[in-house]
Amino acid sequence: MLEVRAIAKRYPAVQALDGVSLAFEPGKCHAVIGENGAGKSTLMKILAGIEHPSAGEVLLDGKPVAFRNVREASAHGIAMIHQELNLVDELTAAENIFLGREPTKGIAVDRRKMAQEAKQWLDAVRAPFGPEAKTGGLSVAGKQLIEIAKAVSQQARYLILDEPTAVLSERETEALFALLERLRAEGVGLIYISHLLDEVLRLSDTISVLRDGKHVATLTPEGATPADLAKLMVGRDLGEVFPPKAEIPQAEPALIVEDLSVPRWVKGAGFSVRPGEIVGLAGLVGSGRTELCEAVVGLRPCSGSVTVAGDKLTKRDPATMMNAGLAYLTEDRKDAGLHLTMSCTSNSTLANLRAYGRWVPNRADEKKAATKWIERLGTRIGACEDAVSSLSGGNQQKVALAKWLDARPKILLLDEPTRGVDVGAKREIYQLIHELAAEGLACVLVSSEMPEIVGLCHRVLVMREGKIVGELVGDDVTEHNIMLLAAGVEAA
Amino acid sequence: MNRWTKILEDYGVVVALVILSLFSAIRRPDVFLQPENIRNIVNQSSFIGIVAVGMTLVIIAGGIDLSVGSIVAFAGACTVLCLNHVQDKGAMAIPLALAAGVGVGLGLGLLNGYLVSFGRLAPFIATLAGLVAFRSFTLVVAEGGEIRSMDFSAFPAIGAGGIPLPFQDRGGQTLMLNWSILVWVLVAVAAGFLLERTRFGRYVVAVGANERAARYSGISTAWVRFWTYSILGLLSGVAGALLSARFNSVASSTSGLYYELDAIAAVVIGGTPLSGGRGRVWGTVVGVLLLGVIQNLMVSEGVSNYWQGAVKGAIILLAVLIQRGSSRAAA
Repeated sequence: MLEVRAIAKRYPAVQALDGVSLAFEPGKCHAVIGENGAGKSTLMKILAGIEHPSAGEVLLDGKPVAFRNVREASAHGIAMIHQELNLVDELTAAENIFLGREPTKGIAVDRRKMAQEAKQWLDAVRAPFGPEAKTGGLSVAGKQLIEIAKAVSQQARYLILDEPTAVLSERETEALFALLERLRAEGVGLIYISHLLDEVLRLSDTISVLRDGKHVATLTPEGATPADLAKLMVGRDLGEVFPPKAEIPQAEPALIVEDLSVPRWVKGAGFSVRPGEIVGLAGLVGSGRTELCEAVVGLRPCSGSVTVAGDKLTKRDPATMMNAGLAYLTEDRKDAGLHLTMSCTSNSTLANLRAYGRWVPNRADEKKAATKWIERLGTRIGACEDAVSSLSGGNQQKVALAKWLDARPKILLLDEPTRGVDVGAKREIYQLIHELAAEGLACVLVSSEMPEIVGLCHRVLVMREGKIVGELVGDDVTEHNIMLLAAGVEAA
Repeated sequence: MNRWTKILEDYGVVVALVILSLFSAIRRPDVFLQPENIRNIVNQSSFIGIVAVGMTLVIIAGGIDLSVGSIVAFAGACTVLCLNHVQDKGAMAIPLALAAGVGVGLGLGLLNGYLVSFGRLAPFIATLAGLVAFRSFTLVVAEGGEIRSMDFSAFPAIGAGGIPLPFQDRGGQTLMLNWSILVWVLVAVAAGFLLERTRFGRYVVAVGANERAARYSGISTAWVRFWTYSILGLLSGVAGALLSARFNSVASSTSGLYYELDAIAAVVIGGTPLSGGRGRVWGTVVGVLLLGVIQNLMVSEGVSNYWQGAVKGAIILLAVLIQRGSSRAAA
């Protein structure tokens, strides 16, 4: 049994955890849920030896333990699979599994032994690749398997998983769940963090809810609904998650894409979006959705034609496409969407800086605009001058949205706009997308979360292996129909 | 305590300059505090200072330029060669010669910028090639020796002259605030404005902080980097031309030698991380002055030439260690 008793963690500015007591049993899956900033990650980091509690204690099998670092925690059988995987891309699967504890023969690494043992652990997690596979060439799911194999090889008795499915496709998620079931049956205690409430209800034996650093409830999944959990997390009734779909005004398409191909990724894609319309782009991870968007906004070389508001654009670079009225909210917020070290104001105006002065931007105007977006989007920040890195995921996403909205686009492409965002902020983002469309913005929504696509989109295009394989309109937009098309199964 | 460490991290370079100046003043009040000595420190610093200001922009944008010392030498050599060639042009000779030097600097800066931005060469490699090649050009045009100006009045007067100060030197002559110092001040103020207030400056920071996000925001990242190298080349040309006027000659093998290293050191000491993405021009200016005061102190203390590099190295390490403290605190 792994327990925390009256654990508290105080940072200079915030009380991240406040007297939380929980018990995690071996052979059980215990989900910990809560909004961003509720203290889940801090709790997990304490368990994994990354952070140290300000008060309270951690007990393992009844004995108090204080892990000074990750190494000590893993020596006690506690391993954590982080949301951002910590693997060296240049090394092979085997080298990553044994990084820092390579089996040796004399002073040299015993490569044969390492490969043999790695194979054994990779087989245990049913990895579809061998120990010699280069990590950098694997999908996110593959990398995750290496992390899990590594944890299992260190005889982990408790495995902490921080949003493991956020970056997986449906199929990969199923495979992961099967693996977690097996580990649980073997007696490994799973501590599971996720924003996806359906998933939590399905997988866990026990669910604990944190809110503002405090433990508010522990319940079993029987009889609970996602709405119940959401209410506990937010502390208020959320009401309808998705606003009702608005009528689309009759108008010429704002964006027409014809026969667009990106080498290796997209083959002859064509679609159009009208002002006020929200078009979903569904499909499995790797089906070419992101690459299609990137090609449309000029970030990837491609063939085919892109017509914006009646103008066929031949010179397609990011600046030209932006000037034409396209904006693209990237899937990868940290690497491509934001400048984390720069201020909220600078981020908000960066894509439209010329509008604040050709040579010398007017900083007062910039601040006014940033403040306007903070109010409109309900971004919770300290000061406009604060670096974006100090914000939570949901608020970072709102700053990224502000950047694109400030450029006054006619067409907005949203790639996984709610990834890593808590329920409350998700709902606000849905409401915002709905409002923007109602104001006449043409929206393209890429998402791996089916309810999001079904709840928001007027029309859905399904991609598979780089091709648009189907289009669903109105009442045909259901999770079932999308899955059939995405997986390439003929409808019965 | 937290507030004091923050102040030390932000203004540590100023504190260091004040402490070292006080130390110098107490050790040798008769020497250090002489207006002439202070003027000399600043004047000697101004040439590297002009280059270091440009280097700050390049480093903030995520680049590096190792070729500046050789650009200074080659631009200086071209200035003197041009002067000797157009001596019969009368009043136009000196402006023409200075323009030639500055132009050569700008041209080489454009070349560096092109290779790095559009030729997609690693900045370290592209400018390492420049470091070697431009020095070689200088040696070629000077035939390995020194190029002397044939003008013995107006041209060296640019190096010696300036704005009169209300002080006298030891010989009883009015002390001058040299033109090179004035140019350095102007260049620093202009670069500070460029970085802090202009759209271009914001883009420089954005490209250095996260090039991918900058590109996704519609910024032409290649052009931004291109212009930082071009500005640095231009400033290296200015430094080279002024330096040639100061000595009225250019020694092909030693002029501008190691300027790139001193400039980079000053940028880092001044609080701009080598990884780019943030930084400050005033810090670099203080960093250059700090190196100047250290040099002056070592000479007046009679520290052997051989040991001076070791002291400089220690100061650079110290500056980086303090900075690492600040980035840890931020994480």
